[in-house]
Amino acid sequence: MEISEITFLSGVYAPLICAVLAFAFSKFAGELAVKSVAFFGCAIALASSVLTAVFYAKNGVLEVSSAFGQMGVNGVSSAMYLLAGIVGFAAFLWTMVSPVKIRGISTYLVCMLFMQGGLMGMFASQNVLWMYAFHEFALVPTFIAMCVWGGENRKSAAMEMAVYLTLGALLALLGIIALAFVSTSTLTFNLRELADAFASGNIGAKSAGVIFAVLAVGLGALVSLFPLHSWAPKTYNEAPAAFSMLHAGVLKKFGLYLLIQVAVPLLGANAGLSMGAITVLALLNVILIGLCTMAQNDFKMMVSYSSVSHMGLCFLGIASMSVLGAGGTVMIMFGHGLSVAALFIFAEIIKSRFSTCDMPSLGGAYKNMPVCAGLFVAAVLANIGLPGFANFWGEISVFAALWSKGAAVCALAVSGIIISAIYGLRAVASIFFGAQSDAVKKAGNCDISWKERSPILILLLALILVGFAPKLITVPLDETLGGIPAYNLTDK
Amino acid sequence: MFSSILGCEFSDMWAMLLAPLFAAALSAFFLRRSKWGAAAVSVLSATFALILAMGLLLGESGDSASKSVEIFKLGGFSINFGFLFDEISKNMVFVVCFVGWLIHIFSVGYMDKDDAKGRFFGGLSFFMFSMTGIMLADNLFMMFIFWEFVGFSSYMLIAHYADTEYSKMASKKAFIANRVGDFGFLIGIIWCYHVFGTTEFGAIATALKANPSLALTPMALLLICGFLGKSAQFPLQVWLTDAMAGPTPVSALIHAATMVAAGVFMTVRLGVVGLLTPVASGFMVLICSLMAMCAGFWALGQRDIKKTLAYSTLAHLGLMGVAVGLGAYGIAMMHLTMHAFFKAALFLVAGSVIYACHHEQDMFKMGGLARKMPITALAAFLATCSIISVPFFAGYYSKEMILNISLLSLVNEYVNASVSDVSGLCRLGALGAFKIATFAFVLIAALLTPLYMARLFFAVFLGKPMSEKAVKARENSLFMTIPLVVLGVFSLAGAWGAVFGGLKWLGGKMSGLMPLSAENFMAFSQTGWEHFHKMIEGDVLFDWAGAMLLVCTLILILIAYFLYGRGEDKIESDHPIMYHILEKHGWFDDVYNYYVLKVQQRFAVLINALDMLLIQGFAVKGLALISRLLGLVIKSWHVKWVSSYVVWMVLGLLAAFIILAV
Repeated sequence: MEISEITFLSGVYAPLICAVLAFAFSKFAGELAVKSVAFFGCAIALASSVLTAVFYAKNGVLEVSSAFGQMGVNGVSSAMYLLAGIVGFAAFLWTMVSPVKIRGISTYLVCMLFMQGGLMGMFASQNVLWMYAFHEFALVPTFIAMCVWGGENRKSAAMEMAVYLTLGALLALLGIIALAFVSTSTLTFNLRELADAFASGNIGAKSAGVIFAVLAVGLGALVSLFPLHSWAPKTYNEAPAAFSMLHAGVLKKFGLYLLIQVAVPLLGANAGLSMGAITVLALLNVILIGLCTMAQNDFKMMVSYSSVSHMGLCFLGIASMSVLGAGGTVMIMFGHGLSVAALFIFAEIIKSRFSTCDMPSLGGAYKNMPVCAGLFVAAVLANIGLPGFANFWGEISVFAALWSKGAAVCALAVSGIIISAIYGLRAVASIFFGAQSDAVKKAGNCDISWKERSPILILLLALILVGFAPKLITVPLDETLGGIPAYNLTDK
Repeated sequence: MFSSILGCEFSDMWAMLLAPLFAAALSAFFLRRSKWGAAAVSVLSATFALILAMGLLLGESGDSASKSVEIFKLGGFSINFGFLFDEISKNMVFVVCFVGWLIHIFSVGYMDKDDAKGRFFGGLSFFMFSMTGIMLADNLFMMFIFWEFVGFSSYMLIAHYADTEYSKMASKKAFIANRVGDFGFLIGIIWCYHVFGTTEFGAIATALKANPSLALTPMALLLICGFLGKSAQFPLQVWLTDAMAGPTPVSALIHAATMVAAGVFMTVRLGVVGLLTPVASGFMVLICSLMAMCAGFWALGQRDIKKTLAYSTLAHLGLMGVAVGLGAYGIAMMHLTMHAFFKAALFLVAGSVIYACHHEQDMFKMGGLARKMPITALAAFLATCSIISVPFFAGYYSKEMILNISLLSLVNEYVNASVSDVSGLCRLGALGAFKIATFAFVLIAALLTPLYMARLFFAVFLGKPMSEKAVKARENSLFMTIPLVVLGVFSLAGAWGAVFGGLKWLGGKMSGLMPLSAENFMAFSQTGWEHFHKMIEGDVLFDWAGAMLLVCTLILILIAYFLYGRGEDKIESDHPIMYHILEKHGWFDDVYNYYVLKVQQRFAVLINALDMLLIQGFAVKGLALISRLLGLVIKSWHVKWVSSYVVWMVLGLLAAFIILAV
C-alpha cells in the first residue's frame, strides 16, 4: 500500500478507531484521555482530507480497496472529503472551547467521532451501498446526541427528523437496489462497474426515469427539498452545536452528493420529468423558505432556515445538468458547509453570552465583542455569497448554468441574493449594531477569546482561501465532471 | 516598474491593485488597536498606488490590455482577471488615486480622535482595492466581483459609528438597495455572457461592430440596473442620503467622488462597446434627468450640510447619466472628473466645518465661519463657484457641455424632422415631447444648483454664528487644510488643460488629466459647434442661452441671499408646507418603509405561518395521526384473532402468487 493510500484511508479509519478507543477508555480513563483521543481522531481526519485533496489534485487518481469496499476519490468527492475533514475538526475544537458545559463529554465525543468516521467514509467510498451505509452510520449519533444533549423540544424534533430521514433513506435505498438490479446481472454496487453497465445501455428509459424519481424523492427528503423540509430547521435548532455543524454542514450534503455522483451520471439522460419537478421545488426552496427565513426572530432558527433555503440553489445546479451547474453545486456545498458551521458556532456564542438568540431583544453587541462582530460579519457575508468567499463561485456558476433553463428560472434563482442579503444583514444589524439592549448591556465586555476564535478562524480561512483561489477546488472538479457524459449533453 | 525589477509578469497594475488590499489586511489583523499604525499603512499604500498610477499614466501611451489570468473555470464557463487600461480607465484611475490620496490624508486629521482607526483605515484601503479592480476590469464578471467588494466596503464604512440606530439602518439600506440593483446587473451579465460567449469588453465591441443587432434592449436595461443601484438613481436613490451616516471622509471618497461614479463609469464602458441600445439610452436620459431635477429640489429641504451635498451628488450623477444616455461618453467622464474634484472639496469642507463645530451638522446652527476658518472658506468658495458653473471654473465646462448636448439633441430632432418653425416641434409627437421634457429637467437641475449651493454657503460661512459650537470653531490642522486647498485649486483649474489646447501638461500625456474627455471635448468644440451653428443658420441661440444662464445664476444667487442670507431658512419659517414637501423627498422613504414593514415582512410572516400550518402542521401531523390510527386498528386485530399470523401469512402468499402470475 502506498503512502498516499494510507494517508487517504486513515481519514476514515482514524475517527472510527479513536471512537472505539475513546468508548473503551471512557469507562476507566479520565476525560482528558478521551479528549486527546478525540483530538487525534479529528486531527488525523483533517490532515488526511487536506493531503488527499492535494494528492488528488496533483496525481489525478486515488483508488484503493479497503475493509469497507472500494474506496477512492474523484474531483467531487475530494472536495467533499476536505469539507468533512475541516468541519469535523472545527466542530471538535468548538466542543473543546465552547463556553457551554456539556455533561458527559466523553460520550458526546464518542458520538462525534463515530459521526466523523461515517462522514469521512461516506465521501471516500466508491461503492454506492457503502456510501449509503456510512450515511446511516453517521445519522445514528446525530439522533442520540439530539435526544441526550438537545434543546427544550428535542424529543419531538428528533422524532420528526428520524421519521423523515429514515423514510427518505429507505426510498433512496430502494432506488439504489433497483439501480443495481436493473443494470447488472452480477448485482454490483461499485460505482465504476455500475457506470460501465449503464453505458453499455440495456436499461429502459422508463425504468431509468422511475428509479431516478424514487431516488430524487428519497434524497430530496434528506436534503430538505421543499415540501420535505420541515424536519430540518427544528433539528438544527434543537441539536447541540457540534452536531448542527456536522449535520447541516456535511451530512445533509449526502443527498446532493449521491445525486451528483450516482443518480445523474447513471440516470440523468432519462430524468427530464423529475428534473423539471426538482427545478420548481428548488425555486420554492429559494424563495418561499427564503421568505420564512426573513420571518424568523431567533438567530439559530434563522440560520437553520437559511440552510434549507440554500439547498434550493444546490438542487437547481444539479437540475441544470451541466458541468457548470453540478460544479457550482459542489462549490456551494463546500462554501455553505463551512459558513453554516461558523454561524452555528456564533449562535451558541450569542446564546451563551446573552442567554437568548432572540434578535429583537439583542442589539449593539458590537461594543461588547468587536472581534466577534467582525468575524460574524465575515461569516454572514460568506453565507450570502459575497465574492471573496467560496460560496460566491458556487452561486454565480449555478446562476450562469440556469440560463439554459430559461431567463425566468434564472431570474427567480438570482432573486435569492436579495432575500439572503435582507435576512443576513438584518441579523448583523439587530444583533451587533445600534444601541445596546438590556440583555446586551448586562453581559458587559465579553469578546471571544483566542481559544474560541480558533474554530471560526479555521472555517473562515478555508472559505477565503477558496474564495480567492477557487481553482484549488474547481480544477479537479472540472476534470471529473467533464468526463461524465450526463453533464456534457448541452455543453458545446 | 515591477516587471523590470522582478523580471516577471507581476505588473505595476497588479501592484496598484494589491497594495491597498495588503494594507487593509494588515490594518484589520494587526493594527486594530494601534494609534497611528493603521493610518500610516493606509496613507502609504494610497501614496504608493498614486505613484504607480502616475507612472502608468505618464509612461505608456495608447491603450493596453494585459494578458488575462483565468481565475475560475467549470465546463465551458470561465472567469478571467485581466486589465484594460484605455482612455476611460486612465481617466478614472487618476481621479480615484489622486482624490483618494488626498482624502486619505484628510482622514488622518479628521479621524484623529476616533477609537476604531484600524477598522476605518482598513475599510478605506479595502475600498481603494475594490475600486481599482472596477476601473481596471476588462470583463463584466471581474467588474461585478469588485462591484460587490465596493458595496461591502461602503457598507462597513457607513456602519463605522455602529452604535447609533441611524447608521445601523443606513448601512443595511445601502447594501440591500445595491443588491437590488445587482440583481438586475448580474442577470444582465449572465445574459451578455450567453449572447457573446464572453463578457470581455474588447471581444464584445468586436462582435457588436460585426453585428450591431446583438445588442438587446432588455439586456442593456438589466445592465443599467447596476448603475441605478450604485449611482443611486430612480428608484434606488434612497440609500445615498442615509449613507451620510458614515464618517465625512467616507462620504467624500465613496459616496460623492468615486464609488457612486463607478455606475457612470460602467455605463460609459457599456456605451463605448456599443451595448446601450437607443431605447436603453433614452431610458437613462429620462430617469437621470428626472433625478437631477428632483434631487435639486430636495436639496433645498435639508438642514444637514452633508445631506444637502448628498442630494447635489444625486443631481450631478443624474447629469452624468444624461450625458451617457445622449452618447456623449467623453463629456460624462469629464463631468465625473470635475465633479470628483469639486464635490470631494465640498465634502471635505463639510468635514472640516463639522469637525470644527464638534460634530454639529445643521447648517443653520453654523454661520459666520468664513472669518474663523478662512482656508476652509476659500476652498468652499472655489468649489461652490465650480459647481454652480461660473465661467472658467472647472465645473463650468463640463456642466455647460451637458446642457448644450441636451439642447443639441433637442435641436437635432427638430432639424431632422425638417420642421420649419418652433411650433412645429409640437407635431413631432412623443419623441419631441420627450426631448423637450428631458431638456427642461436638465435645465431646471442646472438652475437649482446655484440656489441650494448658495444656501449652503450663506448659511455656513456668512452671517453670524448661530450656536455656541460655531462661536468656538477654529481652523483645523494642516492634514485637513492642505487637501482642501489642493482640491479647491483643482475645482478652479481642473479643466484648463483640456480647454486651452495650447496648455500641454507633462508632454501632452496628462493634457487636462482626462485624455478621452479632452479629446472628445476638443473634437466637439471644433466640429460640434460649427455643425451646431450651421444647423441654426447663424442664429445666436447658444450665446444667448449661455448668457441667459449666467444671468439666471446671478439672479438665483440673489434670491438665495434673500431667502437664506439671514441665517435662517425663509421657506421653512414662512411656507412650512412647501418645505415639508421638499423635505419629504418624494415620500420614497415612507413608501419603501411601508412596503418593507407592512408588505414584505408581513408576507414573509404569512408564508412562514402557512409553512407551519400546512406543511408542518397539517401534512406532517396529519400523516402521524393516520399512521397512529392505522396502528390502533392493526393492533386491535392482532389482539382479537389468535390465529391472525396464519391468516396474514396465507393472505401474503396469495398476494405474492397473484403478482407473480400476472
